[in-house]
Amino acid sequence: MEDNKENSQENATEKNEDRESTIENNTSEENKTNPNETKIKLPKIKLNFSGMKKIYEGQYKKLLIIPFMLLLIAILLIGLKAAATGDFINRDVSLKGGVTVTIPTEQKIDILQLEDIISKKFPKNDVSTKSLSQFGTQVGVIIDVDIGEEHREEQIGILIEEIGKVLNLKLTTKDYSVEIVGSSLGASFLREVVTALLIAFLLMAIVVFLYFRTLVPSGAVILAALSDILITLSIVNLLDIKLSTAGIAAFLMLIGYSVDTNILLSTRVLKRKEGTDMERIYGALKTGITMSLTTLIAMTAALIFTQSEIIKQIMIILLIGLLVDLINTWIQNVGILRLYLERKARKSIQ
Amino acid sequence: MNVKIKKIFTNVRVIILLVFLVLAVAAINPRPGIEGVVIRNIITNSSAAEAGIQQPPPTAKPVSRERILEIDNRPINSVADYYNYIDTLEPNQSVQIKTNKALYRLTTRQNIEIIELNETVKKTIEELITINETINGTVVEKNKTIKRQIDVPKTKKISKGTEDIGVRVFNAPTTNIRKGLDLQGGTRVLLQPETSLLQQDLSSLIDTIEERLNVYGLSDLVIRDASDLTGNQYILVEIAGATEEEIRTLLAKQGKFEAKIANKTVFVGGKDITFVCRSADCAGIDPNAGCSSSQGQNFCRFRFSISITPEAAQKHADATKDLDVIENNGKYLSEPLELYLDDTKVRELNIGAGLKGSATTDIQISGSGTGFSQQEAVINAMGDMKRLQTILITGSLPVKLNIVKIDAISPLLGEEFLKNAMMVGLITLISVGIVIFVRYRKLQVAIPMVSISISEVIILLGIAALIGWNIDLAAVAGIIIAVGTGIDHQIIIADETLRGRGIIYDWKQRIKNAFFIIMASYFTVFVALIPLVFAGAGLLKGFAITTILGASIGVFISRPVFARVIEILLRE
Repeated sequence: MEDNKENSQENATEKNEDRESTIENNTSEENKTNPNETKIKLPKIKLNFSGMKKIYEGQYKKLLIIPFMLLLIAILLIGLKAAATGDFINRDVSLKGGVTVTIPTEQKIDILQLEDIISKKFPKNDVSTKSLSQFGTQVGVIIDVDIGEEHREEQIGILIEEIGKVLNLKLTTKDYSVEIVGSSLGASFLREVVTALLIAFLLMAIVVFLYFRTLVPSGAVILAALSDILITLSIVNLLDIKLSTAGIAAFLMLIGYSVDTNILLSTRVLKRKEGTDMERIYGALKTGITMSLTTLIAMTAALIFTQSEIIKQIMIILLIGLLVDLINTWIQNVGILRLYLERKARKSIQ
Repeated sequence: MNVKIKKIFTNVRVIILLVFLVLAVAAINPRPGIEGVVIRNIITNSSAAEAGIQQPPPTAKPVSRERILEIDNRPINSVADYYNYIDTLEPNQSVQIKTNKALYRLTTRQNIEIIELNETVKKTIEELITINETINGTVVEKNKTIKRQIDVPKTKKISKGTEDIGVRVFNAPTTNIRKGLDLQGGTRVLLQPETSLLQQDLSSLIDTIEERLNVYGLSDLVIRDASDLTGNQYILVEIAGATEEEIRTLLAKQGKFEAKIANKTVFVGGKDITFVCRSADCAGIDPNAGCSSSQGQNFCRFRFSISITPEAAQKHADATKDLDVIENNGKYLSEPLELYLDDTKVRELNIGAGLKGSATTDIQISGSGTGFSQQEAVINAMGDMKRLQTILITGSLPVKLNIVKIDAISPLLGEEFLKNAMMVGLITLISVGIVIFVRYRKLQVAIPMVSISISEVIILLGIAALIGWNIDLAAVAGIIIAVGTGIDHQIIIADETLRGRGIIYDWKQRIKNAFFIIMASYFTVFVALIPLVFAGAGLLKGFAITTILGASIGVFISRPVFARVIEILLRE
């Protein structure tokens, strides 16, 4: 059984090498094998992609440089940030300790001006303001101040009063939400969720390894997930997004989503016998892109329409992560898998 | 086509899914247009409590809670209706409240406010007390009268309308889905014990907290212990419709109440106290002291009486028998009775000379509240009194608790969030449906896919309603993600089955291929989220569990149905 499989893979690789020189042929043949799908794919778009296809199929080794460079830059950026600030992420008050006040109001508020006024009142603290928005219109304001444990109640009182002055409102407890996180809890939260992330990653790696039982393909899936997390994290840092606990939960979800497309790819390429490697890669690509596209669109919709900061942050991290995952799955993982199959084919010839 | 539809609805997997859907809808129990307002809380000692309206148990299912339908034959259908009518009530009016369970009759009380005039009067007060005195080894009851003269501001009692009947209500929920705090408003507190506790001590601590909150009049609450990966212990308290300040003062205080004379403890809160008066005749604004003001600040004194155990009374006798009597505006003992709350001295009471060496069991506790207006001072004084009474009744917590996190969510914001979350769900579903239709150009694929996703959400909410777990914003995020992976898996099924039809594999093999990938992704999502269930005091537990549960429902119940349905619809 095993031998049989290896043979078919070997055949497939040889066939594939033939193909690389005759790309035009390849596309027309693909059309023949999948007659049902011709009505969906518009021929015009296909023409535009044929140049890209040539590079994608022929230059996959050179293309591998892109994801690896990105990973390297990401590690460098995260390292630099950790060295400069002592923290590898921007923590928001839920991970740092402090106070978040949310006030829903119909009033139009200049949040930068509000931030300015509050910063003057709290010169020692880090103040940040955000709009609470729905459909892109402001429906309230969110104010984060990293007030410490000392005189906390008093400080919160001053903060609320100050906000009330700016908004020209007498704020009663019914009018606003306040979230207070102690600084020790914030720090322990960060440790906790990072530990959770590491355990999750380890468990995921074990599951993937048990599934494929071979080092290189499972390694490629795990590497793709790792690259997704690191590159996404560095982009999140570059965008100056302050991470909350929910944001870190999003990184956990990213593991799940990233593994989805990678397992799809590896299963189709390694465990199926029909067609050539490239055909199976394109088959997986089509399914994978549809999956990512539906998720991306759903997340963009959620991002635009939601008011909740929790949902917003989860969605924006997943959005960035899924875009990064497109590169890591369809360039990095595909490249590694093709190198692996090539080497395997060469070995069995010898 | 009809044959195919018949085939779909006679399929075992489809029938299983439909059964789950029916059960889920039954658990959610949607009641559009449900009548009345639901009772959240009954204030202790209020006229409503006297009339026998029961405090609802916090575990009651939302739809099955007691609802007020009519007051004095007027239909009550919203919180606004309720308050509009309650505000028109006159003192001593008899009110008839009809709920879905019973008919209650109660009489409103007068709300009396003491107004202080701009003059003081000298007042001699007489206190008659019964004391136990030990003479020649036998205990004799003796009545003693102490006379004291004090300056009090002249006060006048005026009626300030009607006292609140003491019912807190909220709009009747139309489903059994419990909304988390961030969707309905309320306060969530994360407490950390100062020293680590054994499991049994932790549960007794939770019981004491619950009792303390219940005595205070808060019943719609969830208290549970939580821990994290490093083994820190936490207690999570969620209270709907309570304010942050109430919770802070009730829970951050250990409530170690001690009364000392000359540094010797006479009695402590909880076990030494047999009775705390909470009725108007022996608790409230001190009629002898009333309210006063100076430099724009208003002060109001409160007082209430308590009874202590005979043993504690004996300690009082022992502590006072050797004290000197001194003359200072009346005859007092040389050492005062000092009251400590959490090791801070809160009051000092002079002991009348007559009490020297007596084993008195009745003691009056007093204190004061301040405010910018007299009304505010009264409210603060009464609030302080209520909290002190609560602490004296329930005794101290075995350990000091630190508040490490407080979230107070305004009910207005919560309502907005809920509406918004529902709309976001709908929009994402529609946009996914459009993408699927554009990709496959087949309604036979798009319609089953969207319906399967909707049924997954319904079953998920049904389970949530059944086990009484709260749907909060994190859970909403979990639902969105579960639906997202659900769509992904259905795309895999659709592509596996549509791909190169009729060549190598039969349908069974194709579906098997699809589920090979789906199971791999299911297991990875599962293991990736498991650590989150235990991490960080369980604050992200809702998110993790919702996502895992959603994915499990999908993989084992609904997605196989999708595979069967498109097989039936598309197989030639």
